[in-house]
Amino acid sequence: MLKIENLVTSFGSVIALDGVSLSAQDSKITTVIGANGAGKSTLLRTISGLEHPSSGTITWQGESIVGRRPEDIVRMGIAHVPEGHAVIAELSVEENIAMGSLFRRRKFKSDISVAIDEVYTLFPRLNERRKQLAGTLSGGERQMLAISRALVSRPKLLLLDEPSLGLAPLVVEQIIDSVNTLCRSTGLTVLLVEQNANTALGVADHGVLLALGKVVADRPAAELKADATLRAAYLGY
Amino acid sequence: MDTFLAALFSGTSRGAIFALVALGLVIVWRGAGIVNFAQMGQAMFSTYIASTLIINGNSYWVGFIAALLSGAALGAILDILVMRPLSNKKKTELLSSESMRAAVPVLASLGILGVLQALAGIIWAAEERGFPAPAKQEGFVVAGSAMPFTAFDLFVIASVTVTLILTTLFFKKTSMGLAMRATALNQEVAKLSGIRTNMTRTLSWAISGAASSLAGLLLTPSSNLSPSTLDLALLIGFTAAVVGGLDSPAGAVLGGFIIGMVISFVTFYDTPEDVFLAILAVLLLALIIRPRGLLGSKDARRV
Repeated sequence: MLKIENLVTSFGSVIALDGVSLSAQDSKITTVIGANGAGKSTLLRTISGLEHPSSGTITWQGESIVGRRPEDIVRMGIAHVPEGHAVIAELSVEENIAMGSLFRRRKFKSDISVAIDEVYTLFPRLNERRKQLAGTLSGGERQMLAISRALVSRPKLLLLDEPSLGLAPLVVEQIIDSVNTLCRSTGLTVLLVEQNANTALGVADHGVLLALGKVVADRPAAELKADATLRAAYLGY
Repeated sequence: MDTFLAALFSGTSRGAIFALVALGLVIVWRGAGIVNFAQMGQAMFSTYIASTLIINGNSYWVGFIAALLSGAALGAILDILVMRPLSNKKKTELLSSESMRAAVPVLASLGILGVLQALAGIIWAAEERGFPAPAKQEGFVVAGSAMPFTAFDLFVIASVTVTLILTTLFFKKTSMGLAMRATALNQEVAKLSGIRTNMTRTLSWAISGAASSLAGLLLTPSSNLSPSTLDLALLIGFTAAVVGGLDSPAGAVLGGFIIGMVISFVTFYDTPEDVFLAILAVLLLALIIRPRGLLGSKDARRV
């Protein structure tokens, strides 16, 4: 389980996370929703070690991970797919995927090809484009590639930042479905950040609503989805 | 016709060496985002180590290997002791602006150059000394007449070719090579993938150090060795890298050969005194006409 308490992250005088507390239960999808600038991305970036919090705790499987480097946090089973279909455009599909498993090449050599085959089965379109440069892929394929890169590190917790950004609804559905299937079949824990609240709450078990760096609501996803007052006040529809 | 051939051969051999110097600059630029002005100072230092070993009765090859190893070690040490602490420093008031933070490591590299030259002066005295070549520097004799191509030229071209092939294979085919390319292209994604970017950066300093030490070994037989011998080589290598594209290894090689030819043709058809002027002219032209270099990508220039 991932447990966050009173997390504060700021950039100079701007406070992006203002005392955030939440948790992500094992083998469940927890979604963090909120408008632009609510601090959703900062939350994930602080968990994965890209940003350093000024106070608060992040505990993963009973161990504090604050102050560790991103390279070490991946090794503890937390994989972060940052916003904007983060792949390396100048590398091929194969290389982007291989990159995610490089750190496992000594201890888990035999499992690497198994993990890679699994992501190609999950996203067959990537299999057809193995040799292509990532820069030539469509937005949806890039998102699939970014998720694949994270999955071959064999995470127990997947941090997904706005996978729907800039994608057609049909593609979003396909990607969210894949993540959902993966969570239900392998017991992967997912922390999904989304601006697209309906899609996220539709698939998640639990929902957290973030506004201006603070948690405004923390409830079962279905309840949050049904609350028209909250939606109108914080998401504007 | 003879002059033309002579210029062409000499240009190829010099070009190969400057390709190596430029490659060293490109590797550190891609891996760490720094133009390393200390590079040929490092090469000078390791060439002195080789020279000392050879003077004390060891074979050329012992000195050769020692120069490459000490060049790699020196590069790694400089990164760990100077560059890594600088880049890991949190944003402070002094370093709050982006351009200042980009400038500081470059200034540090100039500082390192000064320190290395002063140290070499103290350890080995500042006067010039000769440095041996592993092969004859007289032209091959065919049908009684000397050709403009020497056995040493052949050695230069062969060793540079081998180095280029090895580095290409390393970057394209090995796990560590992939980790280094990923770090160079997108440090954040590399870190999130579990790549230890501090280590890949240090490795790029080491590889660049070894490559430029080789360049030092190949340059000094024709110019003698002193603490400042290789200063000009840095300027030429930098020009080659700018012409080819600072972020492109292939561009570095192409730029190296172009500059080699320019130097050689100016030397043969004009006068050696104009070489320096010609290099500066090429550097300025390259910066005005195509600042990203022949094979460089669009937003490569930040310094």
